[in-house]
Amino acid sequence: MSDESNISDPRQLADAPAQRESLARGPRDAEATLRRAQQLVRDAQAAIEEASRVVGQGHAAGPAGAAEARLVAAERERQELASRLAEVEHQVGRLMTLYVATYQLHATLDPVEVQSTIAEIALNLIGAEHFVLLLIDDEDKGYEVRLVHGAPDTPWAQHQRYTGGDPLVDAALTDGGLRFGPTEESPALAVVPLRVQDVTVGALVILKLLDHKPAFVKEDHDLLDLLGAHAASAVFASRVYSKTARKLRTLESLIRLVNKG
Amino acid sequence: MNAVKARKILIVEDSRLIHKMYEVMLRPLILVSAFDGREGLDRLSENHDVDLIILDMNMPKMTGLEFLAQVKATPALAKIPVIIVSTEGKEDDVARGLQSGAAAYLKKPFLREDLLQLVNHIEAKQSAA
Repeated sequence: MSDESNISDPRQLADAPAQRESLARGPRDAEATLRRAQQLVRDAQAAIEEASRVVGQGHAAGPAGAAEARLVAAERERQELASRLAEVEHQVGRLMTLYVATYQLHATLDPVEVQSTIAEIALNLIGAEHFVLLLIDDEDKGYEVRLVHGAPDTPWAQHQRYTGGDPLVDAALTDGGLRFGPTEESPALAVVPLRVQDVTVGALVILKLLDHKPAFVKEDHDLLDLLGAHAASAVFASRVYSKTARKLRTLESLIRLVNKG
Repeated sequence: MNAVKARKILIVEDSRLIHKMYEVMLRPLILVSAFDGREGLDRLSENHDVDLIILDMNMPKMTGLEFLAQVKATPALAKIPVIIVSTEGKEDDVARGLQSGAAAYLKKPFLREDLLQLVNHIEAKQSAA
């Protein structure tokens, strides 16, 4: 529709001057209004952008921050659990070693096998390269050198009987206490008294460790304690059994002789 | 560390104590026992599904190194990995063992976790190959 058709209306014609004035003012007002509107839109856009940024930041910082904190806590907990698991694994291994040593000491009633087990424990589980096993002689209550492993250069280890002379060994045999050396007077690294019912029936004297084992570790102390208690009772039980078996065989032979006669 | 996957292990070792130790530490794996190298070869001829050999060095009748040489010279057995576990811990001993074809060398006294780690490591290498 054109402007002419609109002007053809008489009522419009009557208002024409006002209209013209209005029309003349209109573009100016419209421009102002448009500028004003544009400004408002720009302000609104800036406000929206700012709000979005703030809201966005708020959303991002909150949950991500919390998640990160939880992740750090979970990682710390994982490390702690891994460390505890390793410790438990180590303890399990330690208990297994003690169990096997005890089991094997009492697995036989043959005195020679018991001695051999003591030697295996000293060599394979403790890492002793040179060691000597002293056992009490039931007849005269002196100590016999029953087993020598390696080539210890201590003079007394070359004899069949231990008659004293090493202060560390003497002290352990006298009071039944575990001793660690070496000292100025004794080359022994450890003297483990073998005790049963408060009686010292022998001692394991460790004179040298394997080259790749520089010193005793914590686990060795448990094994040495175990040897002190269980090796003695195993030796004692096997000796009693062996003596009884020998007596039984003698009696059986006598009975057979008597029956024949 | 506990997830040992090897199925059957031949233990060649002259110490009953150490046999018992393996039995407890490597439970529930199937262990085949031999007390010297010669017996170890016999056990291998009876058990064709051995996945791993744990071998001592100092043994009567046939030493660990002699046994290892026989195993490596037999095509059907040569691929079975061998771990030497021994009190012989000098550098020369270790080098000799590894040069003879052992996959690993563990010195006695050993920790259970070290043994399991080695067994797992060798098993993983075998699976990857």
